[in-house]
Amino acid sequence: MSEGLSPVSTESTLAPAEFDADLDARLSHIVYLKDVTVSFDGFKALDIKEFKLHYNELRVVIGPNGAGKTTMCDVISGKTRVAAGHVYFDKQDVTHERDVNIAKLGVGRKFQTPTVFDSLTVYENMELALPGKHGVFRSLFARRTPDERDRIMAVLKRVRLDSEVHRQAKYLSHGQRQWLEISMLIVAEPKLLLVDEPAAGLTDFETELTAELLLELKGNHTIIVIEHDMEFVRKLNSRVTVLDNGKVLADGTLDQVQANAEVIEAYLGR
Amino acid sequence: MLEAVAPSPLAPADATPVNVKWLRIAMVSGLLVLFFIINPLLTYAGVVPDYKLNFLGKYLCFAIVALGIDLIWGYAGLLALCQAVFFCIGGYVMAMHLSLLQGGGDVRPEYNNIPQFMFFNNLRELPFFWKPFVSFAFTIVMGFALPALVAGFFGYFILRSRVRGVYFSIITQAVAWGAWLMVSRNEMLMGGTNGLTNFNKSFTTERSWIVGLYLTTLVVLVGAYFLCRAITQSRAGRVLLAVRDKESRLYFAGYQPLSFKLFAFAVGAMLAGVGGMLYSPQVGIITPQNMTVVASIDMVIWVALGGRGRLWGAILGALVVSCIYSAITSDMPTTWPFVQGMMYIGVVLLFPEGFVGMWDKVEARLQAHGWTRAGLTAVPLVSVSIFALSQALGLMPKALEVVIIDSASIGKIQVKYFILVGLIVSATIVLKFLSKRDAHRSGHINQPASPGIAGISTEGATQ
Repeated sequence: MSEGLSPVSTESTLAPAEFDADLDARLSHIVYLKDVTVSFDGFKALDIKEFKLHYNELRVVIGPNGAGKTTMCDVISGKTRVAAGHVYFDKQDVTHERDVNIAKLGVGRKFQTPTVFDSLTVYENMELALPGKHGVFRSLFARRTPDERDRIMAVLKRVRLDSEVHRQAKYLSHGQRQWLEISMLIVAEPKLLLVDEPAAGLTDFETELTAELLLELKGNHTIIVIEHDMEFVRKLNSRVTVLDNGKVLADGTLDQVQANAEVIEAYLGR
Repeated sequence: MLEAVAPSPLAPADATPVNVKWLRIAMVSGLLVLFFIINPLLTYAGVVPDYKLNFLGKYLCFAIVALGIDLIWGYAGLLALCQAVFFCIGGYVMAMHLSLLQGGGDVRPEYNNIPQFMFFNNLRELPFFWKPFVSFAFTIVMGFALPALVAGFFGYFILRSRVRGVYFSIITQAVAWGAWLMVSRNEMLMGGTNGLTNFNKSFTTERSWIVGLYLTTLVVLVGAYFLCRAITQSRAGRVLLAVRDKESRLYFAGYQPLSFKLFAFAVGAMLAGVGGMLYSPQVGIITPQNMTVVASIDMVIWVALGGRGRLWGAILGALVVSCIYSAITSDMPTTWPFVQGMMYIGVVLLFPEGFVGMWDKVEARLQAHGWTRAGLTAVPLVSVSIFALSQALGLMPKALEVVIIDSASIGKIQVKYFILVGLIVSATIVLKFLSKRDAHRSGHINQPASPGIAGISTEGATQ
């Protein structure tokens, strides 16, 4: 962890006592949100005192509609600017970084509605997701390698898209598009996967497979999953963070948060 | 010049059927032989008048421009309305070199080394920025580089702020308007509204020059096609399609769409410049009239009619529309805007994918119903193409040029127009009838394949 020390210590102007706790949080977590607020036209969409995510942790974020779950993803991936506070990713301050640069640092994202490139085939979609340098000239002279193909095909086989390799993405079903986008995320090998509602609109069977996929990734990937479906959340069997009105309401196992009076209030009390 | 199925590490599930492949090969090789060998030979034999080949050479320049537009619009999804400016940059660069070669043609030696228009503007010495254009090599380099640099400069500032869609088009149109105003000024020392002319006369009058320039343009067009094809089939080409589909998603895959869009914009501008460089010697004049806003829109229409997102569609669109333009404007000049409008509306309504879409239908019918039905489907596209080609080469039979209606307000309407429209309409009606019959049959009697019309068996019906 010493390599992260130098840039942090030179730029920080915090008081020493406060500084140490903050520094520790930054260095030991892949994601660290500190006093982050986001407002849209005066409405506070997000107001997080502190959110910490360990390396290789799978965290599920739940909450009623409008709780700020997607906004939190937007903040981490640089899509939305914060009004105040700091966003740290992998020991670096990314509060003012552009979305492209944050993606290059290793934040991968699956959107709430499956977002794939319609006129490209499944394989071509996967190819664009491959990690590496993404400049114009590198892309012009990029060669397809057997190694790449094997990696892509392995992931596609897992999500049962290997028979659709040459089909244009616009002809895929909703579930297949969800899986294609998740596959693109997996093959990109990001340090952090932001997975926004992976089970939305899926059949029971498809939901099952999606849960299996995420569980396979658990342990050697850092993942944040946003989800509504409690059945699905239970299957993931991971630590849960509950958001409500942009604030962190509770944190713990699913059983713990479901027993939490405030959470019950948030879900049922209105 | 059809695009093959993209090479892929895995064999595509639906490989091109054999008969479609043969049809494509026949088409492409036929066109190549026609343009490379038959057209020059016919010119030398005196069958095709020199000026007709000269015109065709001009249209080939337009096809190079259209390729660039297809790259920007068809692939990256940016509708740039300033391609005529880049075309004129290339055209002017070459025109400057040619007018310097020619000199003033004045008896007084002090004026003889500057282009004629300059001493009308009371200039005695060559302006500094004209001087390097004495060199042919410098001219060529500038013809390639200048449009790309200008496109890069404007493109950077327009695209950097993530301007897209119609806003991008409007800004580029403003650029075209501004450039036109600027070049029209005499103070620019570029010939003002008169443009640059007075090049070597033999470019447009001597047969060997005409054929040479025509063949050069053709070779450059083929080269430009393969350049664009290489780009579109590379990973960068797929990123361009991704920009068109869902630009915002690319940010989160770690791509910077700006640089890809700039690249496409610059390459498109460069191709327009190359087209312009070949245009001015073949036409003998270039004026600000070539870079008006309307000129840019005409260029976009070529690609819209030809078919976006497919390179050969752009080439076909530019050639066919230009040939028809030349036919209509000589027979009934006042009607051109209406014909252009009707063509545009007709294609957009019936074939949103342009000539390319018509061709795809031919291939689809060939697979489903065999050659007869495919031939019938091809009637509109083929009759328009043959019309355009014979018009361009001056090979229209005299019998078809008999004037039927001679109206003072419209012009001389000849038999060929009636036949052309008649063919397209009747083929469309027959096809409509046939597909209705097919639907009727498959609805009631479960018959797998139609027997084809006129008793001809439908080979390859179950491909």
